[in-house]
Amino acid sequence: MVWVLKRVGVAVLLVAIVVSIVCLAIRLVPGDPATLLLSQGGVAPDPAAVAQLRHQLGLDQPLLVQYLASLRGILHGDLGQSLQDGSSVAGQILQRLPRTLELIGVAAVLALATGLPSGLAAGLRPGGLFDRAAGLAAALGQAVPVFVVGTGLVLIFAQTLRWLPAGGYVSFAEDPVRNMELVAMPAVTIAFGLFSVVFRMTRASVLDIARRDFVRAARAKGLARRHLLLRHVLRNALVPVVTVVALNLGTLLGGTVLVEYVFNYPGLSGMLVQAVDARDYPEVQGIVLVISVLFVSLNLAVELIYAALDPRVRRA
Amino acid sequence: MIELSRRTVLGGAASLPFLVRAAQAAAPKDRLVFGLSAYPPNLMPWMNTGTAALTVKTQIYRGLMSFGGNGELQPELAESWERDGKTGWKFHLRNAVFHNGAPVTAADVKWTLEQIIGPTSTAYLRGQLQDIDTIETPDAHTVRIVMKKAFVTLPLLLATPYAPVIAKGATTVHGLPVGCGPYVPVSLEQGVGIKLVAFDKYYKPGLPKLKQLHMVAYADENARVAALQSGDVDMIEYVPWQSMAAIAADHALSLSTVNGPFMALAFNGSTGPFKDVRLRLAVAHAIKREDIVKAAFYGRGEPLETLPIPKDSPFFDPTYAHAWRYDPDLAKKLMAQAGVAKGFACTLLSTAQYSMHQATAEVVQQNLAEIGIQVKLDLPDWATRVAMGNRGQYQFCVQGETTDDNDPDGLSAYIDGSLPANNARSFALPTPRINALLEAGRAEFDQAKRRAIYDKLQQVATEVEVPMVSLCWRQQGYAMKRDVVGFYNLPGGLNFYSGYSLEDVSFS
Repeated sequence: MVWVLKRVGVAVLLVAIVVSIVCLAIRLVPGDPATLLLSQGGVAPDPAAVAQLRHQLGLDQPLLVQYLASLRGILHGDLGQSLQDGSSVAGQILQRLPRTLELIGVAAVLALATGLPSGLAAGLRPGGLFDRAAGLAAALGQAVPVFVVGTGLVLIFAQTLRWLPAGGYVSFAEDPVRNMELVAMPAVTIAFGLFSVVFRMTRASVLDIARRDFVRAARAKGLARRHLLLRHVLRNALVPVVTVVALNLGTLLGGTVLVEYVFNYPGLSGMLVQAVDARDYPEVQGIVLVISVLFVSLNLAVELIYAALDPRVRRA
Repeated sequence: MIELSRRTVLGGAASLPFLVRAAQAAAPKDRLVFGLSAYPPNLMPWMNTGTAALTVKTQIYRGLMSFGGNGELQPELAESWERDGKTGWKFHLRNAVFHNGAPVTAADVKWTLEQIIGPTSTAYLRGQLQDIDTIETPDAHTVRIVMKKAFVTLPLLLATPYAPVIAKGATTVHGLPVGCGPYVPVSLEQGVGIKLVAFDKYYKPGLPKLKQLHMVAYADENARVAALQSGDVDMIEYVPWQSMAAIAADHALSLSTVNGPFMALAFNGSTGPFKDVRLRLAVAHAIKREDIVKAAFYGRGEPLETLPIPKDSPFFDPTYAHAWRYDPDLAKKLMAQAGVAKGFACTLLSTAQYSMHQATAEVVQQNLAEIGIQVKLDLPDWATRVAMGNRGQYQFCVQGETTDDNDPDGLSAYIDGSLPANNARSFALPTPRINALLEAGRAEFDQAKRRAIYDKLQQVATEVEVPMVSLCWRQQGYAMKRDVVGFYNLPGGLNFYSGYSLEDVSFS
């Protein structure tokens, strides 16, 4: 129990440190949100109007005051208002987060659905034709940048064949079919890279497990091949795969920006990049807070599961 | 469970091509889908928040006047207007109603202007309209504006989309103030798009021509072009230069371009080599502007060797059309006169965030190397670039900008060194003669005398004070499906106001 509390404590501390660093760093880099907002399109705004906007947004206060005010807000569960249009940052994140989760979720399902069986098949016959073919696909998936894959898909399926829309977003509740059409290409793009990870991990893990004594013993006992593969080999091989996939998904929370740009998908990481460009301090802080909480929780969950599975971890 | 959802996904995917085809075939011809270049940071009526915001705001709000296809003033809420006394203007309002059904009255116009010039205003025209002395409303349909001094460009400023008339004291709709434009916003989804429907009581009979307008944000320029080419949208703004040739060659699409914004160099007048006007002139004569047009704009632009006054403007003086022509020998002579015949090293500020800014800087660097000026490029992100520009942390810098309208007075923001420090103009570079000429031009109503003033201005700016060095015009493009008709692309400084014409757009 003490161990668990310690882990949770470290996680909370980690989030606090991340948010503090971001809070200060985004304010210390050059660039003024009010000037940026009012000089869009290469025009010269009236200095009095800029000064007034800075005042309205509280940007004329000392850095420390701004920092403490945002910390106080966060502790009260208030992520503040966007400097650009005064909308609630929490509201905007709540709107964007499910889209990102949907995108990552669909991509993860696709990657697992393809990566697991192919990894298993390749691991059982290393060096075989299938292994080499799937290995090549995995190498491509890791080497080719997502914007190349994405742009290629748009060119083929949207611009040439016109089967799918080039990009955008409609919520599942509003139009389920349209939602799926729009999620399809970005999810496949992300899944391609993720497939490589799943495939490689599964293959390596299966290769390792399949040579273990208990597998040989089970086979000697006359266990059916299907039963042996699914119940003993794959199941044991899954542990490292799950870990790596979980970590990759965590990274994707804030790392789908290129895919979002190519497919005009209004997710969380695109919002983060735009917020940094506009120096929208509350938005940047809010998004980083949410992403780091999710990421740290994901890690914490993995650690706790490990501990439950393996007592040695707790004692370490 | 997984089996089921996979099956659903696969089944859905298999039927997609048919669904999409069916949806396209049934696309209603009374709805235009417009691809914006960004989701507007906000839609506050009097603030400037960029091109995409202007495109949307010209649908929701309208002011006293606007601009027609050739850039001429055209009536909106004001049916007519005239000068009234030495410094006054009178505007006669037509019968119009706001989106909330309330009539547009002189009191609303007065209130609007008071908000723009008031002490807590963040309006774009706040500074330029400070010379308003009194606003009178003799009756519900007449507004009389008296300026502190004669102010010839007042109607032009009021025709920009920065001065829309808003219903006095009305509550907001979707968080937006109540306007009287051709379209009413019905839903706004942040970062995604804005849906609008035609305002049935719009003051121009028969307009807008379409029932619905969906504006979808495409921040990435390639995604925006792909959306047009794949039929997701009917029309896009801010066509990237590299895609113009492909769109022009596509039989299903049409491309509309005009010379709009311009690229230029601004200088630091307080420190560094460019305090010396001879070295600013040397730079002006050392740049092969065709190379910038080619490298930064794929040939979609035009070299600019004088002040950015459009050639078809009555104030354009051909005498100075090539005042800053490419002449490296003259540039070297000027350097010798300035005592740096062997050249010198300096730093050019631009940004790596926008390829056109970076490419422009690279061409300038190469050209200046040929006359012995060693240029180091400083290419931070845009936000840092703006901050450094405002603080004068540069020796010279690349600018991409546009004027408020096509009147030469619109150049004030870029060449008047008496204005407070701003990223958009040279830093601490006094221009007393230019300032005096601009003041005179602003107060002169006689066209011939005004022309003489601006002829002189072009001479002083290109030969004597050199507050900036122009590089090129760049084309600004809108692209649309071939059956989209009625749109006009406003010329020069008015380009970003082209949203005014969406009320005339329909499908042929």
